[in-house]
Amino acid sequence: MPAPRTRAVVAATALLATLVACTPNDTSTPDGTSGAATLTVDSSADACVLSGDTAPSGNVVFEVTNSGDEVTEFYLLAEDGLQILSEVENIGPGITRDLVLVARPGSYQTACKPGMVGEGIRADFTVTDSGAQVGPTGAVADQLEVATTNYVAYVKDQTEQLLTATEAFAASYTAGDDDAARAAYAPTRVHWERIEPVAESFGDLDPRMDLREADVEAGAEWTGWHLLEKDLWAPVAADNGGAEYVPLTPEQRSTYAAQLVADTQELYDRVHSDEFTLTADQIGNGAKSLLDEVATGKVTGEEEAWSHTDLWDFQANVDGAKVGYAGLRDVVAAKDADLAATLDERFEQVQALLDAQRVGDGFALYTDLTEDEIKALAASVDALGEPLSRLTSAVVL
Amino acid sequence: MVANYLIGLREGLEAALVVGILVAYLVKSGRRDLLPQVWLGVGLAVVVSLGFGAALTYGPQCLTFTAQEAIGGTLSIAAVGLVTWMIFWMGRTARHLRADLQHKLDDAISAGRWAVLVMALLAVGREGLETALFLWAAASATGSSTRPLVGAALGLGTALVLGWLIYRGALRLNLRVFFAWTGIFLIVVAGGVLAYGVHDLQEAGILPGLTNLAFDVSAAVPPSSWYGTLLKGVFNFSPATTWLELIVWVAYVSVTLTLFVRSVWFNHPAPRPAAQLHPAT
Repeated sequence: MPAPRTRAVVAATALLATLVACTPNDTSTPDGTSGAATLTVDSSADACVLSGDTAPSGNVVFEVTNSGDEVTEFYLLAEDGLQILSEVENIGPGITRDLVLVARPGSYQTACKPGMVGEGIRADFTVTDSGAQVGPTGAVADQLEVATTNYVAYVKDQTEQLLTATEAFAASYTAGDDDAARAAYAPTRVHWERIEPVAESFGDLDPRMDLREADVEAGAEWTGWHLLEKDLWAPVAADNGGAEYVPLTPEQRSTYAAQLVADTQELYDRVHSDEFTLTADQIGNGAKSLLDEVATGKVTGEEEAWSHTDLWDFQANVDGAKVGYAGLRDVVAAKDADLAATLDERFEQVQALLDAQRVGDGFALYTDLTEDEIKALAASVDALGEPLSRLTSAVVL
Repeated sequence: MVANYLIGLREGLEAALVVGILVAYLVKSGRRDLLPQVWLGVGLAVVVSLGFGAALTYGPQCLTFTAQEAIGGTLSIAAVGLVTWMIFWMGRTARHLRADLQHKLDDAISAGRWAVLVMALLAVGREGLETALFLWAAASATGSSTRPLVGAALGLGTALVLGWLIYRGALRLNLRVFFAWTGIFLIVVAGGVLAYGVHDLQEAGILPGLTNLAFDVSAAVPPSSWYGTLLKGVFNFSPATTWLELIVWVAYVSVTLTLFVRSVWFNHPAPRPAAQLHPAT
């Protein structure tokens, strides 16, 4: 047994011990509003008497006293009665031992096992929702709080910029100033793409605003950004399924542009309402779904089928994912340093490839990319998406 | 009283046996210079366990159930690695003795020093935390009754005495017999520790199959009986054993026992345990 390996074992053990959440042992407030809810359990030779069969979610303490003459054990099991959530063993006669845990709302089973054998004396137990956040506490919770606050602020800021830019774009488009509208198209959509998962969470807005022609259901009306895109970059018949493209009339232009502005205003209002909150896991999942967006739409050139400004969207999706990750990075680095290092590196790799395609204030058109460049971009997106899919669990669990 | 006594006995037995054999081995093979490492390891384990236990009892509860089981399971598996190493270490010594090469006892002295310390540390510390928590609970009960604490202390004391008796007995044996039989005994002990570690990880939900029992002889061997306690304390025998525990136990014991018997009893070239720094010359 070489010494380094020995030290590694000890170090790993010490590390294990530091990587666990704390639950306060303070049982002075049995009302469940703060501190912990405390229940007494009396385990005798043939009975298992709890002082109650419910507790509010949060810290729960079972004070288990053995009044029998055999050693007993006390278990809290999941509803299926199989999975052990917590246990306390070796409760000798006359001894009281505490089982302390952070309980989530749900149905459970309790079991006393006098004599340490068999199924035990079981009873149903319910944890009600106290409204108390059951999750990380202490420093991690504070970090997550800051992260979510900042991310919500970012989302609000992007919708503000989106609204202003969309109004300007709509004005140019309605007035027939196609050059100005074309120039404003991609830089405006960037604000949408950065917060796409949030916009998509409003299930009614996203299809109205960002639907591609290929995804329009039969009989449904096609509206939103990509309708105007097609009108601005009118395709020749060959690219339009053989049919001659019919430009929108000035009335139609004004109708659809006005609807896009109204929908954007609606998005802005919802994001700015007091009810709009995000949790750390939503941010983590959002970062991942932004990368999925890139992988399924932007890398393939399907998103901007007529304007070919996919790389603007690509950059915006990466921006949004990066902002989400940046807020959670401290927590990730503390819990899983390797994951944080991998993510840092992969974000840089994607960014380097995108930077190579910059032209002036914008990017090369998708149609100007070579087959190899597209492959390299796709590979870098996949390489980032994989560790990003582990972000949420690293933060939340 | 009796129940608490048996808990103390059970928790203390394995540690006392392993440490007793370790000390006997060092004394017999003329390596008394390593004894301080043993006692240092034991002392460390006791202090850390009691400290941890006190912190958990009186401070914030910083160990989730899953974490506690994961630590227990991991320590058990680490302990098995060390005990296995020790078995073959002893086996090598036995062969040297037979070949009358006693002066070539063991080159790996620096590794030996560390390993001896950690082995003692793990043997005592593996169940140390649970024992400490139990002792603190027994101590807190002294307000109403001192009997739980007295019972637990007597149990631990008995385990220590048994360990000492094993040590004395081992000293009486002739060397060959000592090595051959303690090796086999330790292999069975280590197999039990490994199965126990697997059970811990199953309880934590890290490994599957907690409810798939291979056999359940709880009726014949109640864990609260004195013989159930001894079986559990010495061999980590669980009356209700899961399939995974059984498979792991059989796999470990059959492989290690075969290698051990071949090398020590029939003097085949010793298998080279992975954790060996220097080749035996």
